[in-house]
Amino acid sequence: MAVWERRRLNFGMDRFSGLYLFALVVVIFSLWIPDLFLDMTTARSVASAQAIVAILAIAATISLASGAFDVSIGAVANLSTVVAVALQTIYGWGMLASIVVALAIGVVVGTINGFVIVVLKVGAVVATLGMGAILLAVQEIVSMSSQPPPPSSETWSNLTLTPVLGFQIMVVYMLVIAIVAWWVMAHTPAGRYIYAVGSNADAARLSGIKVGKWQWLALISSSTLCSLAGVIYASAYGPSLTYGGSLLLPAFAAAFLGSTQLKPGRYNIWGTLIAVYVLATGVQGLQLVTGVSWLNELFSGLALIVAVGLAGWRHRQAAEARRLGASSKGDADPPGGVDAGPVVDPVGARSS
Amino acid sequence: MLAIAGVSKAFGPTVALKPFDLEIARGEIHALVGENGSGKSTFIKLLAGYHQPDAGEAFVGGRPLKLGSADSAYELGVRFVHQDLGLIGDLSVEDNLHLTQGFPTRFGTLRARAMRTRTREAIERLDIDVRPGAKVETLSPALRTGVAVARALQDDPASPARLIVMDEPTATLPQDEVSRLLAVMQNVVAGGVAVIFVTHRLDELIGFADRLTVLRDGVRQTTRLMAEITRREIVHLMVGAEFEEAHAEAQAIEGVEHVPLLQVSRLDSTPLRDVDLTVASGEIVGIAGLTGSGRETLLSAIFGGAPRDAGEVSVGGDALPPRRPDLAVELGIGYVPPDRKVNGALMDLSAQENLVLPALRRLWRFPALRESVAARETAHWFRELDVRPSDGMRRPLSTFSGGNQQKVVLGKWLRVGSRVLLLDEPTQGVDVGAKAVIYHHLVQTARGGAGIVVASSDSDELASICHRVLILWNGRVAAELVGAAVSTRNISAGVLGGHKGGETPDAHAAVLSARP
Repeated sequence: MAVWERRRLNFGMDRFSGLYLFALVVVIFSLWIPDLFLDMTTARSVASAQAIVAILAIAATISLASGAFDVSIGAVANLSTVVAVALQTIYGWGMLASIVVALAIGVVVGTINGFVIVVLKVGAVVATLGMGAILLAVQEIVSMSSQPPPPSSETWSNLTLTPVLGFQIMVVYMLVIAIVAWWVMAHTPAGRYIYAVGSNADAARLSGIKVGKWQWLALISSSTLCSLAGVIYASAYGPSLTYGGSLLLPAFAAAFLGSTQLKPGRYNIWGTLIAVYVLATGVQGLQLVTGVSWLNELFSGLALIVAVGLAGWRHRQAAEARRLGASSKGDADPPGGVDAGPVVDPVGARSS
Repeated sequence: MLAIAGVSKAFGPTVALKPFDLEIARGEIHALVGENGSGKSTFIKLLAGYHQPDAGEAFVGGRPLKLGSADSAYELGVRFVHQDLGLIGDLSVEDNLHLTQGFPTRFGTLRARAMRTRTREAIERLDIDVRPGAKVETLSPALRTGVAVARALQDDPASPARLIVMDEPTATLPQDEVSRLLAVMQNVVAGGVAVIFVTHRLDELIGFADRLTVLRDGVRQTTRLMAEITRREIVHLMVGAEFEEAHAEAQAIEGVEHVPLLQVSRLDSTPLRDVDLTVASGEIVGIAGLTGSGRETLLSAIFGGAPRDAGEVSVGGDALPPRRPDLAVELGIGYVPPDRKVNGALMDLSAQENLVLPALRRLWRFPALRESVAARETAHWFRELDVRPSDGMRRPLSTFSGGNQQKVVLGKWLRVGSRVLLLDEPTQGVDVGAKAVIYHHLVQTARGGAGIVVASSDSDELASICHRVLILWNGRVAAELVGAAVSTRNISAGVLGGHKGGETPDAHAAVLSARP
């Protein structure tokens, strides 16, 4: 087989490694604990539990694609949850009005983040870290430091728990969000501009793209999605005061892992979704086997390091191979000229 | 002091330096001159240990120098002041001074007093006015150069400085600072240290350097005593006597219709001052000048990538505000920046995505961007510009060779039909074949009515395709070559200051206007 063809086969393996891994995980646990694992209840509960994480991961994907590391996503979601509930049960507002306000929080936070990052030119990590902390304080104020009682109406819970084809409807919401997000990122000029800005903001500017505008829009979209996730959480699980922070890692882990799938080197929606569910399925299986609770973090952390490390290593190998191939053909580029790093560069160069 | 024998270096098929001999005596100031691509940067990098030579040996003070090893160079007393100075902006002068030599410590702790004393000695030796604690990034370019030189000249008892190599240290210095630096170097040399001084500013060398070596196309042209050579001869040797017009098309450049497309007046943008430029439809205007003359800044300032402190820019009558590349694109300007890896192209995105990025909206028909149209247009430009590999439209741009990357960058502006094209070093790092394709398209595009400006450090390039060439000197337009006066020799000579003091280029110049 020619070198190039062989590489293409490997490349296929790289792009779909998540799916292969998913299949592997399912097979292993099906053989190991078939009664516990191969149960539709398991599938359903994983699907639902991960719907929130998936939406947050999609938000992370969008902001990462634009070149910003938005670490306020957990805090935004949590605040929206608390506000959506508190407005109803403490302040007596109607359901619809409470939802609208909760969503508005996302829009406002995204706008402020955008202002701080684009206009004040504060790096994204710093800006969103600060915002996250501020939102926690706001949450304390709104909830008066204690968990507000959850709304008792069935309409409220049914918003997310109504069964559809056996799955809870929130899974459907998540899928719709994913489809819309994918359409925007992959098939509209908006998505293209966002990737351009995230790839190299200076070069994008010199191509005539309004960099500030797209960074801002990406941040607003990200935060709004998070508040949507927050409202869904409120309806499905109730007004937890602390879940937001704990979802930050899984959401970003999925986004980074997702960038090694389907479109390696680029943060992409379906890749993120695959990553969410592969991780979750693996964790669920392990939890069923061992009954241990800290597996989520351990698994996420390990998978993140291994997958992203592997992807980076393969990219460097490919770049090296091209470089050696090119210089033997007498390319004009002096050695070391061509570089092909993947887009994934957390924190480093992309935090503004 | 320094003896080099048979040192050569090639990168793949490109020979950067043919076997090269040189001898420099103690206390000698030796000037090294040559254009870009002459091999002088390669030579310096070989000495500095940045490259391994293909062949040859070197000796410093009689002891063998391991070419390709930076440590070896330092140990034998070779010190460098590179063009980018190599200073860390965030650190203080004192810290920078100690980076090369090492910090004095007692039991692992820094000895502040010893550091301060050493720093003060180094600063005073050069008589430069800096506080040891000042952060380097707050200093003016002249002072920064001073600090870099002070660092190079420091006493290191373990390996005393024997040879200082200075690579264009005066490129960004104002005139009075230059004299001061030269005076300092005279002092240094009095102590027996030899100096290799690389510069384009030939005026500085007269009265300063003892001997001179001229490089051209990787070959040493001559090594002579400064006293025995005239400025004219130096330029002549640097630039060469005969040049083929590499592109026959240039002969066929027709007369220009005088519809002004781009008008720039009184533009100020450090270091440019008061620059006027008009480009008419069908014209290709060249911008030439040394580093620091403003050549590298002009196009970016016009387009909006760099700040514009004063002056107006208008395209076809419409005014363009400063720092608005998005408006520039809307008005029909296309800009190809000089360093495509840094900001010319989006290396992670595919060639196709790069090519269709401006005017992306054209591809948008609800509910999706029409990939088939994008593919078709990309394929069209791939064919037109002979981009290889021809089936690589979907691969990341980083996987293409430099020449092909540049074709894609150019292609994206050709696709949207820009009426003004600003090209900064359009063929830097581009192979000969790709160069020809790019020139062909530039000439065609101009013929089609666009106005093109090419800024380049390659005089051959400008001579091949430009109708007119503006020569920048110290931030101002110093001269304009038109028609038959546009030749490689005239451009190179002009760039080196040939318009000053009676050293006018060829008598055949049709029109040569010099502005004070």
